[in-house]
Amino acid sequence: MPFRRYLPHYLMIAPFMVLFAVFFLYPILSGLYYSFHDWNGVRVPEFVGAANYTKILASRDFSRAMGNLFAYIAITVPLGILVALGLALLVDSFTGRWSNFFRNAYFMPVVLPAFLAATIWRWIYAPNFGLLNIVLGWFGIPSVNFLNDTGTMLYALIAVDIWVSAGFNMVIILAGLKNIPTELYEAARLDGASKRQQLFHITIPMLWPVLFFVLTYGLISAMQVFDKPWLLTGSSFTSYGGRRNALLFPVMDMMGRAFGGVKFGEAAAYGFLLTIAIVVVTGVMFGLRAWSERR
Amino acid sequence: MKTTKAFRAALTAATALIAVGFAGAAMAEDVTLEYWVYSDFAQGDALAMQQEFIKEFTDAHPGVTINISGKGDDDLTAGQVAGAASGTVPDVYMNAQSVGAQLVDVGAMANIYSQFMALPEEQRAQFDKDALASCMPKPDELYCLPYTGFGSMLFRNLTVLEKAGIDPTTPPATWAEWYDQMQKVKAAGMYAIPDETLVFNSIAEIYATTGNTETWGFDWANRKTRIDEATMTTVLQKFVDMVPLNTGTSRNDQATKDLFISNQLAFHTIGPWVNPTYDEAAKASGLKYDFVLIPGDTAGKTGGIRSYEIVAVAPGKNQELAFQFAAFITEKTQMARWAKLLARYNANAAAMADPEVSALPLIKVSVDAAHGAMEVAAPYFVGSIPSCYNSTVIDYASATADGDYTPAEGAKEMIAALNECMAQ
Repeated sequence: MPFRRYLPHYLMIAPFMVLFAVFFLYPILSGLYYSFHDWNGVRVPEFVGAANYTKILASRDFSRAMGNLFAYIAITVPLGILVALGLALLVDSFTGRWSNFFRNAYFMPVVLPAFLAATIWRWIYAPNFGLLNIVLGWFGIPSVNFLNDTGTMLYALIAVDIWVSAGFNMVIILAGLKNIPTELYEAARLDGASKRQQLFHITIPMLWPVLFFVLTYGLISAMQVFDKPWLLTGSSFTSYGGRRNALLFPVMDMMGRAFGGVKFGEAAAYGFLLTIAIVVVTGVMFGLRAWSERR
Repeated sequence: MKTTKAFRAALTAATALIAVGFAGAAMAEDVTLEYWVYSDFAQGDALAMQQEFIKEFTDAHPGVTINISGKGDDDLTAGQVAGAASGTVPDVYMNAQSVGAQLVDVGAMANIYSQFMALPEEQRAQFDKDALASCMPKPDELYCLPYTGFGSMLFRNLTVLEKAGIDPTTPPATWAEWYDQMQKVKAAGMYAIPDETLVFNSIAEIYATTGNTETWGFDWANRKTRIDEATMTTVLQKFVDMVPLNTGTSRNDQATKDLFISNQLAFHTIGPWVNPTYDEAAKASGLKYDFVLIPGDTAGKTGGIRSYEIVAVAPGKNQELAFQFAAFITEKTQMARWAKLLARYNANAAAMADPEVSALPLIKVSVDAAHGAMEVAAPYFVGSIPSCYNSTVIDYASATADGDYTPAEGAKEMIAALNECMAQ
C-alpha cells in the first residue's frame, strides 16, 4: 500500500507543510480573495471585481512609483554587483588577518538595523552640517540638499543601498571565488594571460552561476525596496515618498493605502500586481539562464 | 447508598458551582487594561507622571492593572487598525484627531457618548467646547476625549534677528512685515525659514496666514477638497517668494534645529514640542530665542494650525472601566499637573485656566496660537482621508516653488488632483 509505505515521509514533511499552509498559502490565497473586494480589515468584504486593480493602474502615484522603481533598478542592481565584485576581488587578494578584517568591515552595514543606517546617512547627507557637505565645502562646492533636491534624491538612496547590500553580495561572490580551481589561473599564467584576461576569461565565466544568483536576488530585493527610502524621507502612513514623490516606491504606496487610507483590498491588489511583476522578472531571468546554457 | 451517591453528586456540583462563582468573581475584579500612549509620553518625567496617574486610579480600583506602552505615530495607527481586525485593540489609547475617522471605520473606537453624559456636569464642562465638538460627528456620537493639543507658533532666533538689524522686541504683525524681516535676514547672509513646502503641516501653517478652516480640509458630502483656489494661489506665491530665503530642509529635520541652535536660521514655524530642545540649547550654549504668533495677511489675523491628540476607548468587555480611566486622566486635576510638567496646552479648559498653568509662557502663547489657528484636517471623524491627499498637496506646492507651475496654475491643478483623489 503506497500511502502506508510513504506515511513516514509524509509525516516528516508535515510540519513544514502545515507551517507553509498557515503562514504562506493561506495569506496568499486570502490576499488574492481580498484583492477583489472593498475591505477595511474589519467590515464584511464587498466584491468589487477588478476595480482595485484598475484604480491602482490608473493612479498617479502608481505611475510615479513604477517610474522611480525602473530608474532605481536600472542603476542600483548592476552598480551594486560591480561594487560587490570589486570588493570580493580586493578581499580575495588579501590573506589571513587582513582578509578577515576587510570581509568583516564590508559586511558590517548588512547587520546594521535599517533605521540606524538611515539615521547615519541622514546625518551624512544633511545640508550645511552634514559630513558630505563639509567635505564638499573644503573644495568650494556649495551645500547640496541630497535628500530634498529631486535631482539628487534617487542617487542618494542608491549610494545608501549599495553601501548596505555590497557586503552581503561580496560574501557570496567571495565564496564563489574560493571555489574556482587555482589550476586554471596557473595554466593561464603559464600561457601568458594577463590579470585582466584572467578576470574576463576565467573568473567571471566561472562565477556566472553565483553572479546569476546575486543578480536575480538583487532584482527581487530592489523591486521590494521599502525601508531605506521610507526612513531617509522621514515618511509616515499619511505622507511618504519625499519631495515631489521622488523616492516613492510601490511597497511604500501599498503601505500607505493599507494603513493610511485603510484600504486593505486595494493594498492586496497592489501586492499581487507587484508579485506578478516579480514572478515575470524571475521567470525571464531563469529563461535567459537556460537559453545561455543551451548555447 | 443511592441517597449517599446523590448527596455526593450534589455536593460536588455545589462545590464546582462555588468554585466557578469565585473564579468569576475573581475575573470580574482582576482586570488588566492595555494603555497605549505616544512614545514621548512613555519616557522620563512624562512616564513617571503617567505611572502616577495609573497608580492613583488603580489604588481607587482594586484588582485593576494598567499596562502602559509607548508607540510612535505609525505604530499607534497600525497597531490599532490591526488590533481592530484581530479583536485586540488596546483598551485605552491615544492617537491624532486626524486619524479618528479611520479608527471609527474599522471599529477600533467605542461611542462613549452615553458614558460621557453620565459624568457629573462639572466634569463635562471642563472640556474646551470646540475640542469636544470635534470628537462628535453627530449629536449623540462621541468617539474621543480631546487630550493634549497644539497651535503652531513662530520660534524666533533673536541673535539672528539682531545681526540682521531687526529689532526683536516687536514681533512681526503681518505677513508683509514678516516677509520683510525674512529678506533682511537673507541679505545678512543667514537663512530666514525652513522650506515650508516639504511637509503637509507646514504648507497648512502658511495657508492659514491667508485662509481659514472654512477654506481648508474636506467637503465630505461632495467628496471634494475645501481648498479655495484664490487663497491657494496667494499661498503658492508666498512659497515661490520664500525659495531664495529658505534652508532647503523641512521644519521637522534635525538639520533645521541645528541651524536654529547655531544662529544661522531666524524663524521656525512648529508646535510647542520643539521647545525642550531649544530650552536645553539656551541653557547649554546661550541660544537666545522666543516664540510668538505666526502673523497673517492682516493685523490681528494669525497663521498656523491646531489639532489635538485624543484619548479613545475600545469597544468590548472592558469599555466601562477603560472609559473611567480615560475620564480620570483627562480630568482637570490630572490635566493641570500634566500641563505644568510638559508646559503643553491641552483640551481641558478648566485646567488651562488654572493660574499656575496659564502663567507658563509657552502655554500662554500656545493657547492664543490655538485660538487663532486653522484646524489641520477638519472636519474630523467623518471620513477616512485618502492616502493620496497629503502627498498631492505637497507635490503641487513643491512643484510650484520649483517653477514647474505658476501659482495660479499650481492652485488649479492641485485642486483638480485633490478632487480626483477624494473621489476615489
